[in-house]
This record gives sequence, structure tokens and C-alpha cells, in this order.
Amino acid sequence: MREIVVISGKGGAGKTSISASFAYLSPPETVIADCDVDAADMHLLMKPRIVQQEDFYSSQEAVINPDLCTGCDLCYQVCRFDAISREDGIYSVIPLNCEGCAYCEKVCPVQAITMKARLDGQWFISETRLDKPMVHARLGIGTENSGKLVTLVKNVARKIAEKYNKDFIIVDGAPGVGCPVIASISGASFVVLVSEPTVSGIHDLKRVYDLVRRFGIPAGLIINKYDINPEKTQEIISFAQQNAIFLISQIPYDESFVQAQIRGLTMAEYGSRQIKKLLRQSWETVMELSE
Amino acid sequence: MKIAFTAQGTDWNAKVDPRFGRTRYILLYDEDSGELQVIDNSASVAEAHGAGPKTAALIADYDPDVLITGNGPGGNADPALRAMGIEIFTGAGGMTIRQAYEAYKNNQLRKF
Repeated sequence: MREIVVISGKGGAGKTSISASFAYLSPPETVIADCDVDAADMHLLMKPRIVQQEDFYSSQEAVINPDLCTGCDLCYQVCRFDAISREDGIYSVIPLNCEGCAYCEKVCPVQAITMKARLDGQWFISETRLDKPMVHARLGIGTENSGKLVTLVKNVARKIAEKYNKDFIIVDGAPGVGCPVIASISGASFVVLVSEPTVSGIHDLKRVYDLVRRFGIPAGLIINKYDINPEKTQEIISFAQQNAIFLISQIPYDESFVQAQIRGLTMAEYGSRQIKKLLRQSWETVMELSE
Repeated sequence: MKIAFTAQGTDWNAKVDPRFGRTRYILLYDEDSGELQVIDNSASVAEAHGAGPKTAALIADYDPDVLITGNGPGGNADPALRAMGIEIFTGAGGMTIRQAYEAYKNNQLRKF
């Protein structure tokens, strides 16, 4: 069983377009995991039918018990997030502002403040139109991602893969280089780096590759939109050569990527013959390299 | 030497956890006494943030010399572990604790 994780560093490079195409091209015994929980979009292409839904509790929020509150004003003074309201002398917490730091709880002289677990979102197991199960999540308004939900999504995907003897887990990774990305790549058999030939694209590619290298996970590179800047593309190719990163493919810029998204299709289904071929070859290369 | 393993279970046949911060258990093997201790890390797993440093703090109390894991600690746990002077070995993902220990003894793991 192999876990293929697609990441990009910089958002917008084409990570989901690629991972969704891989999900389409992969053998039937595949589990899909959307770990970009902050801005999930795999579901737009996968048409999920939710089979199981669970609440996700992660952060906390403060609650003031009005019966115990003496109006001493200490909580208002220590709160850094403007989360204490003191209208008409009644102290209460503004939930949307509260970061759950618990400073108010610590300073309250009469223990009128307690920290309550906050419902941060939901995670789902769904059937998709590709007949491959998908694990995904949705965060609530103003709630934050961390490695926690990504880890949960990955663990659930792995459990499904092990239980039903699946061959592949395809993970749409989180963007950036922070904890959600680290959580996305932990345990991966192979990482696909999707880059674009722009200054920030290259900068973030290098940062995210550093992570992958330290974790000792083999990696391959797809340069997306390669023809928008041949000079930058050459820079990426040199970087790959210097670091023994296998260059999987170069995909030209094509507005049908957007059209495919609008139609809810992967580029492996909707793209031109050239792009379909490039994607198919890319997936075959990934299968070979990840053996 | 005291060797810590990130683990998905509680005995020698358990699989090594590729993660550090949100590993379910840490198994601590004392080579001198032959004792295998199980440390439950669920508190760190449940943390919204700071799981890495929290797990590092947890194992600091047990003073291991070596940490064996799958991929390695992330950017927040790493400096904490380095400050403790622990030697970190990776590449044990997918192995059982017993296999990982053998691999470590045979110099087959990667130094992080």
C-alpha cells in the first residue's frame, strides 16, 4: 500500500488539479484524502456522498458564569483579543474573538470562567463519483487548522486503506510549509511536488522540499504552467538536478484547468489530448518511482 | 542507553509511528535493565497546537539518549529535542519496534 502526497508550498500552483487527476487515473483500490482542510476543494471535483460524519473538537473557548462573576474587570484587562464584552456591567465572552488562550480563566479570582471545548468543524468519509472513498473535512468560521485535523484525516484514510486492502492513498496536501504540511507528508511513501515558474513559487518549493528531504521521503517534481516563464522553469529544473529530485513532467499553461474546475471534472477527463497524455505519463512515473 | 520509539501500539510488535508530535505512544527501552516502558501521548494528540513541543517535554522527563521514529520531528519539536541532546534516527516507518531496534543496532537507520 502506497501513500502518495501532493504538495506545492505556494498555493495555486495546481496541487489539487494534479492530485484529482491522479485520483482519476489510479487503480480502483484507492483512498482519497483531502488534507487541505482550510480551503478544501477536492469535493468540487469528486461529488462526495457523505457516508459518515463526525464532529471535530480542537480549540477551546472561555465561558463566564454570570452567577459567580463579581465584575472585577480582570478578564477584560488581560484579554489580548478583545473577546470580553462588558455591556451594562455584565461580563461575557465574544466567541468569535476568543482564541482559547485561557488567560482570563487563569486570572479570574472567583473561578467564574471555564474553558469549553469548541466545535471546530466536521470530518467526513464519503463515496465519490470515482467509486473511491474520500476522507475530507470542513472547518468552521474563524477556526484554525493545525496538524491535528490533518493527522486525523490521514489516520482515517489509512485505516480504511488497511481494512479494505487498498493499493493507494492519494493525499491532496495542505499548502504552505507549516504544521499542516508536516502532518500531510508524515508517513508518505512518495511526495509529488507541484511547482510553478514564479518567484514565490520557486521560493516556496525550496522551503517545502527542505521538509521532505529532512523526512527522508523520495520526491518527484511536476512543473505546472511551465511555459509562462521559460527562464524560471530552467531555474526549477536546475534546482531539481542539484538535489536529485526526479523531474516527472512539465505541463503547459492551459485555461481549460479553470474550465474543468467549473465543470467539476479532473483534467485527466477534460484536458486536451496532450495534457491528458502528460497526466497519464506523470501518474505512471509516480507509480514506478514509488515502488 | 535509553531508547525512545514513536509507536502506534504498546509492545515490541507494534508499528513505529512515522510522526513525532502526534504519535500515539512513546515506548521507552532501557538497554541496561531490559525494561520496555509505555508512555501514553494522547494528551499531545488532542492538543490543537504545540503537539511537537509538548511531546518533547513529555519524553524529557524520561531522559532518553536516542529517539527512533519514521520521518522525524517537525520544526517546533526539533529544537526542543536538540536542546535535550537526544540523537534522532529516522527511516523506521513501517517497521515493528523490534525490527526498528535491530535496524538501529545494525546502523541501518538514518541520522536525522
